[in-house]
Amino acid sequence: MVVHESDLPGVGKKFEIDLKGEEKLVIVIHNTGKRELFVRKTPDADSEKLFELSDKLARQVGTIMEGAYFQPIKDTDVSTALGEDTLIEWAKVTADAEIAGGTLGDAAVRNRTGASIIAIQRGEETIESPTAETTIESGDTLVALGDMASHERLERLAGGEPLDEEQLNGDE
Amino acid sequence: MAELELIHVGVMFAVLAIAGGLANRVGQSVIPFYLVAGILMGEAVLGSVGTLSLDAVGLTIAGSDLWLDPDSEFIHLGAELGIVFLLFFLGLEFSMERLIESKERIGKAGTIDLLNFLPGMLIGYLFFGGIVEAVLLGGIVYISSSAIITKSLIDLGWIANNESSPMLGTLVYEDMVIALYLAVVSALLLGAGGIEGATTDILLAVGVLFVLVFAVYFGTEYFQEFLEIDSIELTVLRTVAITVFVAGGALALGVSEAVAAFFVGMGFSSTSHVHEIEELLIPIRDVFAAVFFFWIGLLTDPFVFLDTTVAGLILAAVALSGPTKFLTGYLGGRVYDLDERRSFRVACGMTTRGEFSLIIAAIATSASVDQWGQAVTETIPSIAVGYVLVMSVLGTLAMQYADRLWLIAEPILVEDEDVTPAD
Repeated sequence: MVVHESDLPGVGKKFEIDLKGEEKLVIVIHNTGKRELFVRKTPDADSEKLFELSDKLARQVGTIMEGAYFQPIKDTDVSTALGEDTLIEWAKVTADAEIAGGTLGDAAVRNRTGASIIAIQRGEETIESPTAETTIESGDTLVALGDMASHERLERLAGGEPLDEEQLNGDE
Repeated sequence: MAELELIHVGVMFAVLAIAGGLANRVGQSVIPFYLVAGILMGEAVLGSVGTLSLDAVGLTIAGSDLWLDPDSEFIHLGAELGIVFLLFFLGLEFSMERLIESKERIGKAGTIDLLNFLPGMLIGYLFFGGIVEAVLLGGIVYISSSAIITKSLIDLGWIANNESSPMLGTLVYEDMVIALYLAVVSALLLGAGGIEGATTDILLAVGVLFVLVFAVYFGTEYFQEFLEIDSIELTVLRTVAITVFVAGGALALGVSEAVAAFFVGMGFSSTSHVHEIEELLIPIRDVFAAVFFFWIGLLTDPFVFLDTTVAGLILAAVALSGPTKFLTGYLGGRVYDLDERRSFRVACGMTTRGEFSLIIAAIATSASVDQWGQAVTETIPSIAVGYVLVMSVLGTLAMQYADRLWLIAEPILVEDEDVTPAD
């Protein structure tokens, strides 16, 4: 990959990245922090502006593109779409959930719901890549990866509602 | 009206805010709008409006009491700070690395661009018959507007195209020339000696600048340490303090405050805090630069534009320098191996004049009338204002409509190319 970097005095920096064929991606980082993205189809063509991002948003998008990002939760409605069918969702574990108090291994969340727990948020703390030995406590927020249906089942499980497990087992 | 009440400062900023809003709405640069706002609020326009009485509501508005005085300390000092911060940013963003990195192309395009001194010098010399007048008009006509061109480049999205390189490159070259130019011209005009005694003043200026360059060259570490502080407030205060202090000190010694500020900016540009300073100080620069343009407007009597001589000289300057800037811009684009269409765009963009022409005008305004005569202190500044008003609007329009203009220019420019043997 060839990245051509140049200074834009009074403006900021410009990066040109070779895409397939003659196409180039042009990123202008303004001194103000604003990022502008352009695509240039051929060397002769004008750069077409794709979009612009604020400094903060650009960094967040950057980490998503890097594949290392999930949004710290604020409420259960936040979700991050990774593809058409795969989402990252959050589920709050209530006191009457059967999985509260046990380990992740005991809960067998993935087998029962289809969703994989990728992190657990406990108060201010985030447990990244929890193992089978990690315990689930009531009040925890489970950060999970899966499709819509898996998330719905996980939501019920964490909320202490009965789970229609037959259906999923039949699927697998 | 030697003193300015708070309400007058309020009126000034309110008018500037409205003018800036209008400029944004019509997609033009703010500079001509601030200028016109100043002209309208000055003695010649608002000051000459009679009393407007609304007897029904018992309200009396006397236009002649409302005008703002360019000699008021706040506006004048604010304008001075505007010049200082404009040049400080020029230094801050002045990229020596870039100049060296593509010295061949910037050198060529920039040297071709020097041709633009000629039309102004010609008019100045032929009409006023003096070297100083010629040099002043030469500078006013030579220097493109970094502020307007850069903003238009971003607005039009050209910043991501190849035409941005010759434009920004030539601006870097011009910045260097104008720093030297201002040093010499302000020493000449503001020094005590006149043309005969100017050598001492210029030598003093060069001496002080040498000290500043020396400080910049060896002071990076100091500048760096100076800003090594975890407080936005202190960073802003320290930067403003050193900039204004050095600029003020230089002025007290009879050296251009603008050039001193340019070097202070250069000193900071080699620290790792450039972006931080830019982000923090842009609002300060913008506020005071607006006051500067407004102040220049206040100094301008629009009725001089009705004077056939002044109007004729402005027209002559536009008619002569527009095409030369266009030509040098086009050639500059070709130096960068751009095709005809892109070189044409460079040409359209580089015609814009703005803040630096007005800074030259401001220096001329503050020269002594007895020593240099009205031509230098009044006529040339008026010409500069009229010229900037025309060229800043014309330049932005040329950039906005570059693609439509190209449809007209294409047959001419590309045909020319075909005539040369294609082997």
